Amino acid sequence: MAMYAFWEPVIIITLINVILTIGLYVTAMSGQLSLATAAIAGIAAYLAAVLTTNFEWPFVPATVAGMIAAALVGAFIAAVTVKMRDFILKLTTLAFGEAVAVVCFNIDYIGGANSFTGITLHTDIWVALVATALALYVAWRFDASRLGIAARAVRDDPLAASATGVSVLWTRMVTFALGGAIVGAGGSIQAHYILIINPQELGFFISLTFIIFLLVGGLQSLWGPVLAAVVLTALPELTRFANEYRLILYGLVIVLVVLFRPDGLLTRRPTGSARSALLGGGPGEGLPSPSRDR
Amino acid sequence: MDLFIQQLANGLIIGSTYAVVAIGFALVFTVLRVINFAHPEIFMVGMFAGLLAGVNLSDNFIVVLLFGAAGAALVGLALERAVLRPLRGRDVLMTLIATLGVAIMLQNGTAAVMSPDPVAFPPAIPVTLLLSERIILTSTQAVNFVVSILLLAGVSLYVRRTRYGRATRAIAERPDVAAAFGVDVTRVSQVTVVLASAMAGVAAVSVGALYGSAWAFVGLFYGLKAFICMLVAGNRFFEGVILVALALGIVEALVTGYVSSNFRDVAAFVILIAVLYFRPNGIFGSYDA
Repeated sequence: MAMYAFWEPVIIITLINVILTIGLYVTAMSGQLSLATAAIAGIAAYLAAVLTTNFEWPFVPATVAGMIAAALVGAFIAAVTVKMRDFILKLTTLAFGEAVAVVCFNIDYIGGANSFTGITLHTDIWVALVATALALYVAWRFDASRLGIAARAVRDDPLAASATGVSVLWTRMVTFALGGAIVGAGGSIQAHYILIINPQELGFFISLTFIIFLLVGGLQSLWGPVLAAVVLTALPELTRFANEYRLILYGLVIVLVVLFRPDGLLTRRPTGSARSALLGGGPGEGLPSPSRDR
Repeated sequence: MDLFIQQLANGLIIGSTYAVVAIGFALVFTVLRVINFAHPEIFMVGMFAGLLAGVNLSDNFIVVLLFGAAGAALVGLALERAVLRPLRGRDVLMTLIATLGVAIMLQNGTAAVMSPDPVAFPPAIPVTLLLSERIILTSTQAVNFVVSILLLAGVSLYVRRTRYGRATRAIAERPDVAAAFGVDVTRVSQVTVVLASAMAGVAAVSVGALYGSAWAFVGLFYGLKAFICMLVAGNRFFEGVILVALALGIVEALVTGYVSSNFRDVAAFVILIAVLYFRPNGIFGSYDA
């Protein structure tokens, strides 16, 4: 029992990070890498927490409301950034995230700088497990759906995709909305577990954590980012005995994966890069990289 | 009016430090096409190298500065060889993640070895009031400003007047063509990272002396500002990054003085969004990444 008491928070936090990473993966499927994950999660978390705390809504409808808000925000960002160059799109999402953090910092109704507190506990291990399973199922189905294939086409070449009749705007709005909804669910579940929302947790550096999970895991399949989120969340928790050195290890793992697994932990064989299939993902100096920024 | 002049001076002083970090960041980005998130942490390592020299060796300010530069340069050298060189030509985002991993290691490594809390920096320069009465300026502020300006002038001369500087500009324009004309891109990359690191180390020591403390997590603050300065200026005109950094320092000081320090960090983002909306490649334009 003592063991379980130690494991339960680790498992719940890990599952929440998995949900948020799945949301980011779905968003990135159509080629828009969001640096505002924490902000979108935060918007849903604030809304859901206000509804359960101040208006005494039940947990599930409040979470759904948060998800809808997050989806709308996602669709809005996608619509605004659709014509932007890749690099500028990332910066715009970054700036959006920082702006949301600053705005929340200055709204007294939701606690402002003092954080939103007084949230009641609704998340237990079953809520986290069911939500993770649902998010995985939705992302897995979406991956193989018509729209999922359209999203990949838009990611690889928006011009060619639109020439074959795929609407770039619509595809990006749908993927960002769906990804946003999943991120929103994660945000609400997190808020009803940690019981506090701090506006600083909406900023760029928290969002970057999920980018790390995504890129360390690899963009080619859903399971890579999920694996990375599990390993990189659990690793610092499980090495707490070496408190001062665990984050050094965390940094080292990231550097080693980028150096020696160029396309992420898991690659997809049939459509994966020829190099990682041939060389088993070695550094492969001198060979042209398939994942180069244009 | 006094408040205005005071904040102008404060802004120029903090801006000059932003400029040193930002120009190093921009140089590395221009030559290597790498967003080096470890750069602000190298700044931090330089601060601690100076601190150790100041505590254990000598309280001579020049000695402390040299040790700060050497410590930062060594880390820069190792970073270039072990991480940046193997990753050459890879996606900008992957190198960003790798340097972020290095940054996490440096931050927490320093926190583990030294202390997770701010550490007192040895008083290498006596603190005296230079201009009292209406405007307050201390000797440490003046030294910080002069050191930064000398570094900036030095890097400008390096880029405009030396052989390596010419190679730097050639690589900035077209790395492949520069290489075809016999520029040793690997060597110039190495020199660039070491130079940028050493500069950051010197600036860090003078910042440590100014605030009287060193902190393992000080890099985050300067890193984001340096990144923003580079994006706002664009990297086509090196000195533009310096101008934007000085301007950002002044704007932040004025916002702190006239509005509220809560909004200080917002100013940088407002400027970033406004500039990128009208000039996506920065005020002075950017090289193709």
